[in-house]
Amino acid sequence: MTRAVEHRLVGVRPRPRGRTALSVILFGAVALAILRLDHPTGLLHQGGGQALARIARSVLSPDLSPAFLAIVAAAAMLTIAYAVTGMTVALLIAIPGAIIVSGALIDDRAVRWTVSTGARGLFGALRAIHELVWALLFLTILGLTPLAGVLAIGIPYGATLARVLGEHLQNVPREPLEALVTAGASRWQQLVYVRVPIASANMFAYVAYRFECAVRAAAVLSFIGLGGIGYRLTLSLHDLRFDRAWTLIGALVVTIAAIDVASGRVRRRLTA
Amino acid sequence: MTASSAPRPPTLQRSHEQGLVAPRRAAVVAVAFFSVTGAWWFVLSQANGRLPTPATVVTRSLGFLGDLLGASTDTAPAYTTFEAWRWIGELVGDTLVMSVLAMGVAGVGMLLTLAPASRRIMIGDAGADRRVFARSALVLVRGTHAILRGVPELIWAMLIVFVLRPGILAGALALALHETGVLGRLASDVVDDLDVHPLRSLRSAGAGSGQLLAYGALPQVLPQLITFLLYRWEVVIRATVVVGFITGAGLGHALRLSLSFRRWTEVALILLAYVLLVWLVEIAAMSLRRLAR
Repeated sequence: MTRAVEHRLVGVRPRPRGRTALSVILFGAVALAILRLDHPTGLLHQGGGQALARIARSVLSPDLSPAFLAIVAAAAMLTIAYAVTGMTVALLIAIPGAIIVSGALIDDRAVRWTVSTGARGLFGALRAIHELVWALLFLTILGLTPLAGVLAIGIPYGATLARVLGEHLQNVPREPLEALVTAGASRWQQLVYVRVPIASANMFAYVAYRFECAVRAAAVLSFIGLGGIGYRLTLSLHDLRFDRAWTLIGALVVTIAAIDVASGRVRRRLTA
Repeated sequence: MTASSAPRPPTLQRSHEQGLVAPRRAAVVAVAFFSVTGAWWFVLSQANGRLPTPATVVTRSLGFLGDLLGASTDTAPAYTTFEAWRWIGELVGDTLVMSVLAMGVAGVGMLLTLAPASRRIMIGDAGADRRVFARSALVLVRGTHAILRGVPELIWAMLIVFVLRPGILAGALALALHETGVLGRLASDVVDDLDVHPLRSLRSAGAGSGQLLAYGALPQVLPQLITFLLYRWEVVIRATVVVGFITGAGLGHALRLSLSFRRWTEVALILLAYVLLVWLVEIAAMSLRRLAR
């Protein structure tokens, strides 16, 4: 910040050294990627243009018949229910996980570092695998059961939440913590009376954001055969009913926007 | 907060808390509890009473782990043969190419929609004169971003395969559509938060909206935008595998095939390569972000 001010005063802004290298790398990477494509020509497949025209035309005439809207509403409810159940599992993992990652309860420095880094690595590996890959794995293990969908959302989201919430618990201001330490508070008391209250607004915001993501994830989980918006969408696309597909897509967008607005309201009340 | 807290003089504040906030909070907790239970009931009712017991879940998971390690194959496990690693290397290359192309297209999309999506450039103090036009462009572009963002990559992919030939490019475009929505939103927020003084100076010197963008806004926000692009690359590389299921390219396609042919050690190798690729991209993105500063 001070550097920027200084340069504005002098009136000259020297170009940071890394920038040129970065530009070369980024443009080079995209150029290489384009060169590796096999068939730069013949992009559309036969009838692709007509399909595009049909898809585009049906945006203007989505299927809004009451019978179909009832199906859409039920599918949206189920998708939200999957997101809620998945998030319950995620929070069950994340609450103890975040405390372990933050290392807030461990006195010894070396032990704290080892446990925190180990937990971070484990959660990182769980998180690296996309929820749909988890879904495919659970589908293979358990067969087609709603539990596969719930666990597929719960495990990677729990890992992500544990890491991020753990960092929120770690990065609280020192002064209130030290005040409690001098008053003789235990690490549990520091956690409950300082770390959690200070971090709560940010933690809520992140959980709400992940819930929004969970709704999107739940919508595509139905790709493996579980009910919900994605399942209805797959059916509509198989029948080439693009008008119905757009209705379903609209329902998904509206659902996610509604969650965004609602969580924004709660967040404002928490921070106010 | 609650009625059991230390006694205080009966002020307006206290009666307000007890009379209004406490019951409302109780109502919120009750609603949350019933929605969560209701959701669980709804989801589990989909099973029609055929839910696996916890014991089955554990034994089957352990059995699956054994399969991944090669317990159920007579031939050499895939992760021990050179050919399998070469095959995986090619797939990793394809996946990487798909993600880089997606970020390239999304980056261009972000830059193209930057100006109309920014409240500050279109109608704020640095704004254009044609207010009605500017406002409608703003609403239109922001709405497009919301729709692009609201639809998951996978659903874009399902639509795109009706139009494009399956392959890397179709997958890259599906990813790029979703990412343009995400990056467009992030970028317009950054532009709206930037330092207005250079913009005002340019404006008073008679600069038009385009010049404002090129000389006032872009130099300030570009490093931040590239940082976002690199952060999103880390997210995109995970999703690339999923989009590959549909568009028939890269690791995702191979994973789908190996799972359906029940070649478990191949599945293990693909998962291993996947996690390594995600880590590789995280490290690369981190070091590139350092260059952007």
